Amino acid sequence: MDQDLELLHRCLAGENSAWEGLLSVYTRKIYNLCYRFTGRAVEAEDLTQEVFIKIFQTLQSFDAAQGSFSTWLHRVARNHLVDHYRRTKKDRMTGSIEDDLDTLVERPSPGAGPIGHLEERERKDQLQRALDRLSPDLREAVVLRDLHDLDYVEIAQVLGVPQGTVKSRINRGRLELARVLKRMEGMRGPAEAGSEP
Amino acid sequence: MTHLEIENLASDYLEGLLDPSLRSTVEAHLTGCAACREMMGDVRHALELCRAAEDVEPKPWLVSKILMATIGEREPTWVERVIAFLRPALQPRVAYPIAMTVFTFSIIVNAAGLNLRSLRFEDLNPRTWVGRADRQGHLMIARVEKFCYDLRMVVEIESRFRQLRGQPQGQEEETPKPAAPAGGSSQGAPSDRTMAANEGAWFEVAARSEPALPTIGNQPASTKVGRSQIP
Repeated sequence: MDQDLELLHRCLAGENSAWEGLLSVYTRKIYNLCYRFTGRAVEAEDLTQEVFIKIFQTLQSFDAAQGSFSTWLHRVARNHLVDHYRRTKKDRMTGSIEDDLDTLVERPSPGAGPIGHLEERERKDQLQRALDRLSPDLREAVVLRDLHDLDYVEIAQVLGVPQGTVKSRINRGRLELARVLKRMEGMRGPAEAGSEP
Repeated sequence: MTHLEIENLASDYLEGLLDPSLRSTVEAHLTGCAACREMMGDVRHALELCRAAEDVEPKPWLVSKILMATIGEREPTWVERVIAFLRPALQPRVAYPIAMTVFTFSIIVNAAGLNLRSLRFEDLNPRTWVGRADRQGHLMIARVEKFCYDLRMVVEIESRFRQLRGQPQGQEEETPKPAAPAGGSSQGAPSDRTMAANEGAWFEVAARSEPALPTIGNQPASTKVGRSQIP
């Protein structure tokens, strides 16, 4: 983290290469966070770009005493994602969850193809679709904990809620995720069975 | 312990955060409750799926897009500018003529005797260049001639010395030969006599110009050979 602070100081001193260094370290993480929230690569790219523009503009407001740069970056990204979620709520309501599930069922069976990475890709898509079913509060807690490996303290700082709330959200999120995954697999099972001769 | 309590402790149980007594209580409940066991298995599966999920790779140009949106197009460093400026000149078809031009120019400058650090107005006149080049050429030719002459002189002197030093030994070696014809060395081959006469002639010339040379082997040179002995 000292490296982050050093890069940050150099960046504040006007050194462009330091900003490039920060971007090279955190672009992937923030992009993944955005992708897990939106489930769409193009949207995640735009959101990542917007997050870093915001970070660049508010770089001077970072206070090392309140947490690490990584935590601050995640908090800014999370707030931006929440704003984006609220902004696009109406757009999303036009799409049906059942439509998405149908498209998932219509996908080819993982065992049908010989290529293993297709199965892996299928699992990733399945996880992403399951995460999309969670409410934003539960989703962000699960994503930060289980996909970004942040500890409870960091998540509490990012979300701005007590640790107890974080633990509760993570637990409920996992339970909900397990139910969604089970339901999706249950829906796919009969479809696969029906496709077999 | 109720089903709801087991649900609330599911994450802590799977992450190993429960104290041993509570853990054993949960395990005891799971042993007797198929629904909770199934629920715990589902959560474990979801957790494993999340932990096994790899990062999604962003597009390679994403960082460039962000850089463009934040700091704009990056200012190239002076090294990058110089390289960019020289890049066309580094192509062989351009580099060769440039090198030849520089080489030719350096020859002309050298031949014209120009000092680029202190150029004067008359240095820019081509007539001055021609005059200096002519002078430089003549000087160079004169130096080369002098050098060749000096070199020839040195080689001749060395060879003469070698011959003069080798002659007495040769005579001593020839004297004890039984097959030698009567009359001794005075009746020798004409080539020997010619050589000795030439040596004498040269040595006489050398003695006039160089007073240190005449005595060789503690004898005056004039007593050994002389111009009068030339056939």
